[in-house]
Amino acid sequence: MVRCAPWTTDSNETKRLIPVATTDPTTADPPAIRARGLEYHYPDGRHALRGVDLEVAAGESVALVGPNGAGKSTLLLHLNGLLPGNRGSSAVSPHHHGAGRPFFRPRRVASVWIDGLEVVDRNAREVRRKVGLLFQDPDDQLFSPTVLEDVAFGPLNLGMSKEEARRLARECLKRVDLVGAEDRPPHHLSFGERKRVCLAGVLACGPSVLALDEPTANLDPRSRRRFIQLIQSLSCAKLIATHDLEMALEVCSRAILLDGGQVVADGPSREVLGDPELLEAHGLELPLSLLLEREARK
Amino acid sequence: MSVDDFGSLAGARGDGPLHRLDARIKLLAAVAFVVAVAAVPLGSWPALGVLALILGGLIVLSGASPLRLLARWLGFLLLVGFLAALTAGGRAAASGMSWGMVVLNLLAKNSLAFLMMMVLAEVTPWNKLLGGMRRLGAPPVLIATLGFMQRYIFVLSDELGRILTARRARSFRGRGGLGPASVSNLIGVLLIRALEREERVHAAMTARGWDGTMRPLDD
Repeated sequence: MVRCAPWTTDSNETKRLIPVATTDPTTADPPAIRARGLEYHYPDGRHALRGVDLEVAAGESVALVGPNGAGKSTLLLHLNGLLPGNRGSSAVSPHHHGAGRPFFRPRRVASVWIDGLEVVDRNAREVRRKVGLLFQDPDDQLFSPTVLEDVAFGPLNLGMSKEEARRLARECLKRVDLVGAEDRPPHHLSFGERKRVCLAGVLACGPSVLALDEPTANLDPRSRRRFIQLIQSLSCAKLIATHDLEMALEVCSRAILLDGGQVVADGPSREVLGDPELLEAHGLELPLSLLLEREARK
Repeated sequence: MSVDDFGSLAGARGDGPLHRLDARIKLLAAVAFVVAVAAVPLGSWPALGVLALILGGLIVLSGASPLRLLARWLGFLLLVGFLAALTAGGRAAASGMSWGMVVLNLLAKNSLAFLMMMVLAEVTPWNKLLGGMRRLGAPPVLIATLGFMQRYIFVLSDELGRILTARRARSFRGRGGLGPASVSNLIGVLLIRALEREERVHAAMTARGWDGTMRPLDD
């Protein structure tokens, strides 16, 4: 298990631990993320995920690309157990909760494992500690009156003392280059700053897996660059749902193409994102950098 | 009171003697003042005068802009004036005072209480105020709700601003307000957006280990 937390900084990254509750006997050193036959129906009956199989190794960075509505965000929510699993259940979920609303009912069959730990209700607490989820809209994630309180929210929920939580929050803010913003209210921050506060709040929980939903969307070029560098400096496993294919090429060694709730392609980023026919068939296009490379070769 | 006003209230800044005072003392004192104003019997102008003097002194001490206070007070006056005019008849009959005097008296009392709260907001940033309430033993759910309200009123007002701009961009009527049908539509759209956001915020909170208990960082 590789942690992004400030207590194991990026310089000396690999701190491998045997997960406490390995429930998947097939692997001795379980992948950071493993999904097997992951199914999900929206409450309105729409089939969002149709048997997704994927694995992300510890410390690996994987891009999750695909057109709008492919199921990328839904997949990320599943990593955290924020949506009820309904593998093998009827087409329509019997519980009419809204998409995204955490609704827990005991699940017997897991289809997602984090560090070998089943993502089921009884493991919710441990799973949420391991998986850091960064939402697309920072306003969804920043709800506290001040920045420091928001970053300390996770650590306090994990049972840390106020002193410890405050210290850790300050450390995480330093990590994202926001020293001095502690007492500012979130609505006084720029979009890029809010995004970084969100990341600090996620890092404060000490995750071993980061699930990032469109981390570079709506950022101006400078903030985008800064955010990319930040992401690259983190050593834990990353699954990055994005339309920013240039960023995917830069940050991720591997890319998974999702469309219609299914994994269409899974391979090295340059191969998946360098296949114009494949990309166009699934609502994407060749990244400009790869296009220019091709032109130059011609 | 527009949302912008609310913003300047919520982010009260400055460093006067009242700003530095403990939020609990300010809160208790303001509530005591309001109770005192409410307890003054109808027609006791000298008592109200004394309270008004105290308030005036506090306004000077707070360094709040009198113009801003006045603007807010005028907005408030419309609503309370209307209510006072409606209820004054019965009071006038019971107390033997003239209707106009009763209305004036009600307005004066309400204004004193309202301005006191304005002064409190001017000298106490929102999070300090909430912290003070927390330490005074207010229920955590209430504090959390007020915190969320303050946080998301800006997000919602931004959203409202975008909707209005988009609507103006597509309407060809020129000036003039929206019709009642448009306004009710707008309220509905905002409500639905707020609900959707609530679900995402809840998911984000749960993702960071929230289990239904608010754990404040302040003591």
